[in-house]
This record gives sequence, C-alpha cells and structure tokens, in this order.
Amino acid sequence: MLAVEYFEVECPEPVGAEYYKQITNDVLLDHNLLKVIEKLHVYIDPKVPLFIAVGILKPITTVVKVGDIANVNPQEAKMTLVITEETYLASMLRIFWERFGKDRVEQPDRFTVVLYNVPVEAKEIEAIVIGNPSESLNKDLIYAFRQIAPEGFRLRSERFYQGKFSFVASENTLVENIDELVKAKFALMGETP
Amino acid sequence: MTLVPVTYKGGIYQHDIVIDLIEDLGGYVVQKHVLAQEVVLQCFVPRDDIELIREISRPIFGEVTDSPLVGTEIAIVSMSLEIHHLPHPSCDIAEYVRRIGAKSNMVSLARGPGKRITGLNDEERDVINEHDIAVYLMGNFETCIEHKMPILLRGIEVPVVVCGGPDKETLIRIVDPPVEGYVGGVGRFMRRTKEADQLDKLDEIIAEITRVLEKKREDVSKDPLSVSPARLMNLIRERVPAILEVTSPTPLTVQMAGLRVKLPYDTFAPELRRMEIEDGIALGDIAEVLPSRMRDYILVKVLPFSETNTVI
Repeated sequence: MLAVEYFEVECPEPVGAEYYKQITNDVLLDHNLLKVIEKLHVYIDPKVPLFIAVGILKPITTVVKVGDIANVNPQEAKMTLVITEETYLASMLRIFWERFGKDRVEQPDRFTVVLYNVPVEAKEIEAIVIGNPSESLNKDLIYAFRQIAPEGFRLRSERFYQGKFSFVASENTLVENIDELVKAKFALMGETP
Repeated sequence: MTLVPVTYKGGIYQHDIVIDLIEDLGGYVVQKHVLAQEVVLQCFVPRDDIELIREISRPIFGEVTDSPLVGTEIAIVSMSLEIHHLPHPSCDIAEYVRRIGAKSNMVSLARGPGKRITGLNDEERDVINEHDIAVYLMGNFETCIEHKMPILLRGIEVPVVVCGGPDKETLIRIVDPPVEGYVGGVGRFMRRTKEADQLDKLDEIIAEITRVLEKKREDVSKDPLSVSPARLMNLIRERVPAILEVTSPTPLTVQMAGLRVKLPYDTFAPELRRMEIEDGIALGDIAEVLPSRMRDYILVKVLPFSETNTVI
C-alpha cells in the first residue's frame, strides 16, 4: 500500500466502503498494478447505482529486452537462450522469426531457444526489445477494475489518457453529467482530468 | 435407538473392521473416501456406541469426531460463476461445509448479480428447493441486499441462511421476508480465507447452518420418517446394482428426509418404486419417487409416518 500516494474509497455505506477498499487493494495487488498507480479514488453509490474509479498512473519508461528474460550462451555456430521468464517468450520468438527466419530458430523445450548461424553478437541479441509493459497496462487496468466493480454494473465507460484514467460503471444507463462527477472526484485528489 | 452423525478418520489398514462394526451396531456408512493411505467415513452410528467405536478404532489410530452436517445436502447459492464470486468466497464456504460432512452443491444464478436486473428462474428455484438448506452468499451493500432478497426468496421453501457484508443486526433488519439464519461480515471478498479471523467467520457460518438444521431435524422427528434415508441408501445399493456403475463421487446422496439417486429417471424410477424394503412394503408405498431438476437424476422423498402409517 505504501507505493500509492493517495488511495480512498468513498461510499454512503461505511461498511461497504471498508470492504471495497480491501477488494480494490487485493485485486490490484494480485494483478501487480499497485506499483503503477500513484493516486486512486474510488466512489461507489449502490443506491444510484454507480461505480467511479479515477486515478493517476506513474510513468513507465522501462522496456523488456531479451537480456532481461534469458541468458544468452554463444556457442560454435549457434546460440542457446535459457529462458527465465516466460511472459514475453511468444513475442520474442515472433521477433526472431521475422529477423532470422524460422529455419534458424528452434525451441527444443519450454525454457530453451536455440538460434543457428545468426550473423549477430550475443550482446546485440540481448539488446533486442521484445515487450513494452505500458502497452498492455490500460488493458490490465480495465480488467482489474471490472473485477473490483460490483458484477451487476455492466454498462461501462473507460477513459485512459496521458497517465490519467477514469472508469465509470453502472447497472443503468449512465447519466449524462457523468463527466462532472469524474471531474469532482479528480478534484478530491487535487488533480484535473 | 438414536443415530448420530459422526466422521471417522483413520488409516486404510484394517478400516473394514470399523465399517463392519458400524454396520453390526445398526449404523450406516453414508460416504467413504479413500485418500492415499487415509480413509474418511461419514456415518450415522447409535449414540450409545460411539465410545465403543472409539475404543475399537484406537489400536488402528482411528479418530471419531462429531459432524452434525453428515447426511445433509446444502445448496450454496452464489450470485454468479464470475471471478467476482469465485473462488472466494463461494468455493471457500462450499469446501468448508464439505469438510464437516455435508454434501454441498453450488447453485449459481443466471441473473444473480445486480440490483435491478436480478432474478430467479423456475429451474433455479426448484433446484434450491431440492436441498435441505440454502446458504445465500450476498454482497457488501445493504441497499442491494434489501432490494434483492424478496426476489431471490420467491418460491423458496427450504430454510435459508443469508451471508452478507453488513453485520448480523442489519441483515435481520433488512432481509424481508425473514429467513432462518443470518451471518454478518461475510460479503464479497477477493482473498483466500486463511487468517484466523476469516476462519472464525467460516465457523460462524457452520454454527448457523447447524443451528438451522438442528431445528429442521427436530421438526422431522416430531413426525418421523417411514424409513431412514441412510437405510434406504444401503438397500438401493444392494438391490439396484446399476448404482455401483455410477462414477459420480456420491451416487446416492443422503438428505434429511430423502435421497438423491444419480440414475436416469425414465429407466430406473419404476424399478425403484417396485423395490421391496421389508414385509412386502415397496419403496413406492412409503416414498415419492420424483424426477430431479438436477440433470436426469431421481429424487426420493420419504413420506412421514402420519401419511403412510408405517415405520420400518
């Protein structure tokens, strides 16, 4: 929790607010998203019913390179990559296939990739960018907030732009002045949407 | 002779001694689980003979514990099968009641979530009514629970225990029509129940279910059943060999006043009705053999003494 600068759950029912704070914390923690959120304000009114989550994201600048997920061992006429983290394996293989051709890339088992006769140095291989966590971040956040919001709230409006996001969900058609409410919730954190 | 529900836990070695003993004493083994080297028997045994079973199972390191929920089938009514409710808390609770002997089924509603859109269809209602008790797992907001409960309780005839986020007093105040049991502080949560206070909550749910079922048991005993469902189970196992071919974990599920037989209704219902129990009395004379709404199973409802004038 320490990583988040501001984290509040607002609800007319204090008991419900307490539970939802716990749920929000658990879900974001499970999805490893607490570290990317700087400020978060959740507002739930079961009477309307309405669920609003607004927040500020921390800038993510890091990209994932081959060297981050694999140990590259150059051998005679081939290069063996021992994979330590599978998350970006598929995109890494796709990049290798495009660059070197499928006949030069082999994956004998789950954690090993072998490159045959590739005209590059091990260091160059290690520096190939294979993933950008910030690309899937918005998707992950929406998925997480769908889990946090009560299940019946199926009409949603999500906005993610320039490190700020708002997620509004309701069981009924969203009211027209929802932007005003979102603005008010941003103001509570001392921000503007 | 009063039969009480108990669980026997012990090694697989010589456990048949215990099974024979229970059967000789006039008890019934309702369920038998063999897990690697361990055997768990859920059974009904005469109250006076529990000490004897303890005595005899001591040399083979068997343990006999009370489990008030043996021989009951419980519906855990979850609002949906979405990740919002599964695996926590629905599965946690369903699994916990299983540990102390109950057969729990999870009933998930097609239109459970939401406030305005919530609903209960006839199939869900009938399936819930086939159980001994229904445990409703509600959410965290009292506004929603207050709004939804009248809809979700429509047509439900079995005792109901409501679990929800608000405290017990609030639940008692808002749930209308009133139900038999309430457990507060167990709403929707997204973490595994493993801390002491969370386990205490699960124990509280068990205590509430047990209390409500005890009351139901008392009501049943005022007008005793024509035949004990556990005895009926043993008879069906002997006389209808097809039941031995069923791969379901509990081909015969004992309920407080009946039995679920996991065989196709059309093929086996006439055979079951004709099955003789004792002295020319057939099962059809003392029980109703009905089609279950759960798959094509058979539901046997044992009639009370007041309707049949027979107790066997």
